[in-house]
Parts: sequence; structure tokens; C-alpha cells
Amino acid sequence: MKLRSSQLYAFCSIFAGIALWQIGYMLLARSYLFEAFAINLFLSSPVGVAQSFVELLGTGELLTHSYASFIAFSYGYLLAVAVGIPLGVLMATIKKVNYYLDPWVSSIYATPRVALAPVIIIWFGLGIFSKALIVFLGAVFPILLNTYTGIKSVRENLIEVVEAFGGSTMQVFFKVMVPDAIPAIITGLRLAVGRAVIGVVVAEWFGTEAGLGYMVYDYSMVFQPAPVFVGIVVLIAFGHLAFVILERIQRWISPWYQFQLEKEVEGMGLE
Amino acid sequence: MATESSGSKLIVRNLTKAFRRQRDNRVIKVFDGISLDVHPSEFVCLVGPSGCGKTTLLRILNGLIPYDSGEIFLDGNSVIKPGVDKGFVFQDSSLLPWRTVTDNVILGLEIQGADKKVARERAQKFIDLVGLKGFETHYPYELSGGMQQRVNLARALIVDPEILLMDEPFASLDAQTREIMQSELLKMWVQAKKTVIFVTHQIEEAIYLADRVVVFSARPTKIREIVKIQISRPRPLSVKRTKDFLDYTDQIWEIIQEEVLKSMGREVEERGVVR
Repeated sequence: MKLRSSQLYAFCSIFAGIALWQIGYMLLARSYLFEAFAINLFLSSPVGVAQSFVELLGTGELLTHSYASFIAFSYGYLLAVAVGIPLGVLMATIKKVNYYLDPWVSSIYATPRVALAPVIIIWFGLGIFSKALIVFLGAVFPILLNTYTGIKSVRENLIEVVEAFGGSTMQVFFKVMVPDAIPAIITGLRLAVGRAVIGVVVAEWFGTEAGLGYMVYDYSMVFQPAPVFVGIVVLIAFGHLAFVILERIQRWISPWYQFQLEKEVEGMGLE
Repeated sequence: MATESSGSKLIVRNLTKAFRRQRDNRVIKVFDGISLDVHPSEFVCLVGPSGCGKTTLLRILNGLIPYDSGEIFLDGNSVIKPGVDKGFVFQDSSLLPWRTVTDNVILGLEIQGADKKVARERAQKFIDLVGLKGFETHYPYELSGGMQQRVNLARALIVDPEILLMDEPFASLDAQTREIMQSELLKMWVQAKKTVIFVTHQIEEAIYLADRVVVFSARPTKIREIVKIQISRPRPLSVKRTKDFLDYTDQIWEIIQEEVLKSMGREVEERGVVR
């Protein structure tokens, strides 16, 4: 892979941030403040986090928790895809469906869904079902809404081309609407990753016994900052990786879309 | 199905069309009895003041939108729905951005249910015809505006239509590219021997291309005049600077100017009613 200059800058920036954190921590450790405020109970250094990472990996604790979170993420996310995309398509193509569902979608979307987590847990218990459901609630809306917008904003002139050749409604759908909406749908999938990760963590805070969210919460309760940061870093890394992979897929499936975006940016005189 | 036999390729009889404007719910009469005969392999250009419904007529001829009354016959058969007997060349090339040149060209065949492999082989001939050999696997965003319009043309020609309906296909091209495309279109037309209805707002483009130029009135639109262009073919681009050519330009421009003034007057009147 060719490293672009923007990626080089990003890498340098992250590296500098970590270095600054390490140096700051070391300076702090030498001062009297460190003892006076028992800072080691609240803050760890990058080196400390790395050591803790290796430790947790060794005991198998990290993998167990990561696996539990990953399973909850996967179930919830896939369910969100399976519901969000078809529902978005139906709402965009059939007016009646939109009339019936829009008030529900709008109002549930507007509520802070974190508030629903305790309710879901008292209804469905502490198991994987509740976790997946909380993840689902976070992830489904970006997918649904972006699919809806994607299908709604399919270009009329392209539809007309297929119609002019005597194409059927199904041909219009599969030859124009689907491919034209795919970039927007993938954008929805990308946004949903972040929401799903939040869902995982929130679900695991409300009393489960496994998962990265649980691990973060548990270690913070006993004032061990290093494992807490390990959990956070793993969550960040996972979210970022999924986001980047989906971006790659988007570029690969719809190279024309990227071009179109860049052209629009140029048109606005930003660049 | 109604039929009518005669030597004409396309017959339009007393066509009328009105639509309800959403802005103020007024019924706008677009066509007020259009009648036109087009001969086989004839090149007919439609010009008229903007807003007179040139493009609407093309869409009606293709069956994309319905008309209110009158009759349209293509090869003696009444035109009711879109299909591959009519090739439509769109104003903005309207290529599918996720398809390569070849796959854009075969769209019509694919819709008919043709085998993709066979269609792709057939596409080569038309890609060559429009001068895009070597660009088969390119995507539209990798092509210039002129090249995109060539693909647009190949896509319409490959289905071997009875008639080619062209909606200002060169309007968005720069002046030089447009001239080149005009002269190449004429060459292709001689080879393909298709009947062409070509909508344009450029008078000199119409005269250069056409056997006959149909001049529309302002709305409610009628045919104001049909000007037969008696300039011998093949026509080099330099023909545009001959006296005959300029005389035709003056003649048609005068009619259109009159109509434009009329339509401006009517617009003021209409807006007055709204307020």
C-alpha cells in the first residue's frame, strides 16, 4: 500500500500525542504531586498501558472480554443491517409504508436510546439477547436513514434511461436504484459501527460479567487505570478498523462515487 | 392497435398535450395540434423558443410520457410505450457511472434480455463507430464530455432502433467539441441510415444537420414553419460560412425571435395573473 502524505501526517500526529502523554506522565511521576494526589490510581502511561495489555493478553482475560463484546457487536450489527436496509428501501419506495413507519422511526431516533438500556435489561435479562438488542437500537437508525436517503436521491435521469429502453420496474430497481444507492448505504454502515460500539459498552455497563465495557467499568471501580485504558484502546482500534474496512469497500465497489464527491468539493471551491 | 400505411416513417397527427402546473395549479397547454410527417432516413431538427416543449415532444414520441389527444404512428404502428424500436440520446449523457463504456453501451440489449457476452461482442462495432476504440473498459468519469456523448449515442444505436430521438445532445459541450461532434454525427448517420429527430436550441446546429428544420411557435405550441434545407451533402463544417447557410440562419432566427417576444409577453401576463 502506498502511504499518502495525509496518512503520514496522521501517523506522526498520533505518535506525537502518545509521546507527549508518556513524557508528561514521566515528568508528573517525578514531582511531589504524584504522591500527594495518588495519581497512579487515576492515570497510566502509554508504557504502563502496553505492559497491562501484554499481561491481560497472557492471562486470556482480554481475549475473553473482546470475544464477548465482538459477539454482542456482531449479532446486534447484523440484525441492524438485516432490518435497516430492507426497511429503508421499503420506506423510500412505498409511500404508505413511509406514512406508517415515519412517526415511529423519527420519535425513536430522537430519544436517547441509552435510556432504554435498563428497560431492555429488566425485560430480557443479562444475556446476549439484551446486549444485541441495545447494539441493534444504536446501529439500525444510521443504516435505515442512509438507505432511505440513498434510494430517495437516486437520479431521475438515470431511471429514465432504463425506462426509455422499455425497462420494467424491477429492472429500474436493480439496474439503477440499487447501484446508485449503494454508496449512501455503505456510509450508513460506517456510521453505524460507532453507534454499535457505544451500544456494546453501554450494555456491558449495566451488569454483565464479560465484555470490554464490563472490563473497563470493573477496573475503574478498583482504581486500576492501565487495564481501563487497554479496554478503551481496544474499543477505539476495533471501531476504527471496521470504519476503515468499510471505507475501502466503498471505494472498491463505487470508485465513481469518490470521484463525484471530489468534484463536488472542487465545485464548492473548498478542496 | 391503430395502424396507418403510407411512405412515412413517423406520422404525428393533431397531437395535443396539457399539464397542470404545480406552482399555481393552472392548466398549461403545451401542444395545440401538432402534425408532422417524417420520411425514412430523414434528419429532422426541432427548434423553437425555450419552453415551447421540444423535449416534451421527444419524450412523448418515445412513449415516456402520455399525450392527451391525437395520433402517433411509427412504421404504421401506434406509439404507446417506450421500447428499443426508439433510440433516445439524452441531453446530459446519463451514463450509469458504475458501468464501463462497454456495459453502458449494452444496456438496451440487456433490458431486452440479451445474453451479456453476445451483447458485449456486438458493442465493439458501435464503440468503434463512435470512435471510442480503446476506451471499452473506462468508466464515464474517466471520459470527457464529448466522449460521454459518444457513448450515449452508441447506447442508442446498438438496439438498432427504427428512429433516433436526440435531445440537445451537444448542448453542454464546448464550441469546438460540438462542431466536431456535429460533423461526426452526420458521418454516422450516413452509415447507419437512421431516421433522426434532433432537438436543439441552436439554429446553426439545426441547419447544419437537418434535411428539414421544424420551427415551433411559443406555447401553446404549434408548428410555425418547416424549412427545407437545400444544402448538398456531405456537408463540410465550412458550409456554415456560406451565404446560403447564413440566409437560412436569418430566416429561422427571424421566426424564432418573433415567437420569443410573444412568449415573453405571455409570461409577464401569466405572472400578473398569479399575483
